[in-house]
Amino acid sequence: MAPHLGHEEFFSSLSDLLSKTSQKARGSVFLTQKPLIDTTASSENASSSSRPSILIRATDGNTNAPNPKNNKVEKKTVSKVKLSTIVAPEDLEAFYTRYAEVCKAGMTGLKKRDRKKGKAKAKAAKA
Amino acid sequence: MPYLPTSQAYLEQSALLLEAYPNDTRITTKYNFPSSQKPKPTEESTTPTAPIASLTLKTYNPTSGICLKYRTNKAAEVGRLITSLGKLAGGANVAALGLGNAAAAPVAQAGGDVEMTDAPEEGTGSAPAAKTEGSKGGKGKKKGGKGKR
Repeated sequence: MAPHLGHEEFFSSLSDLLSKTSQKARGSVFLTQKPLIDTTASSENASSSSRPSILIRATDGNTNAPNPKNNKVEKKTVSKVKLSTIVAPEDLEAFYTRYAEVCKAGMTGLKKRDRKKGKAKAKAAKA
Repeated sequence: MPYLPTSQAYLEQSALLLEAYPNDTRITTKYNFPSSQKPKPTEESTTPTAPIASLTLKTYNPTSGICLKYRTNKAAEVGRLITSLGKLAGGANVAALGLGNAAAAPVAQAGGDVEMTDAPEEGTGSAPAAKTEGSKGGKGKKKGGKGKR
């Protein structure tokens, strides 16, 4: 797997991914968050005292990606987009503020709040 | 795979699940467009009806097999939901979510071990939830107040 990105890089890639999906009006974006438990370190003393970092992943869930077991490189298939970043517990609030902004800006395919208003205005302009 | 009726119910239940299994519970947010598009008649092409995407939130715990979902298609909810997910990631409990629900507080305080109690209108999903409750020695206490919303 690709190495974890910095927050800035993650956000720019994520907004890119979201806006591309919204433009195409098809496909999906999966965002996952889970605590990052360091299993390699001696877990007894490290884990319980402080909150774990949060691992954030984003992917387009592209199943057309070439099978890594196949050695053949198929140029036509678009490879799966995978992004990930790690958020330290103290950065969570700042990160999620940006995260929410990026998601709000990128998820333009959802129902707008002012849909009816806009239609009414358009009608009024025509008449 | 129960879909919870309100985002508030979803966030509450997710907070309880995260509290019970903080280490291996994950939250997935799916932003997707409907997969099958019917071929549109050409005369309607003047008003292109763009497919409306939907946002599905899923909290899943592999150990217990509990899965909570919430689906919406309103853009207005995105900001609030993501912010709430941030609070959940920070380990906020039900009370700290600030959902303004008085009924949530007693649930959070009801004893040391957190039980995943009855999510309203769970169908098939309630079976694994109930099983886990038993196996981890929960008191099996029903929270009567939950269903009234």
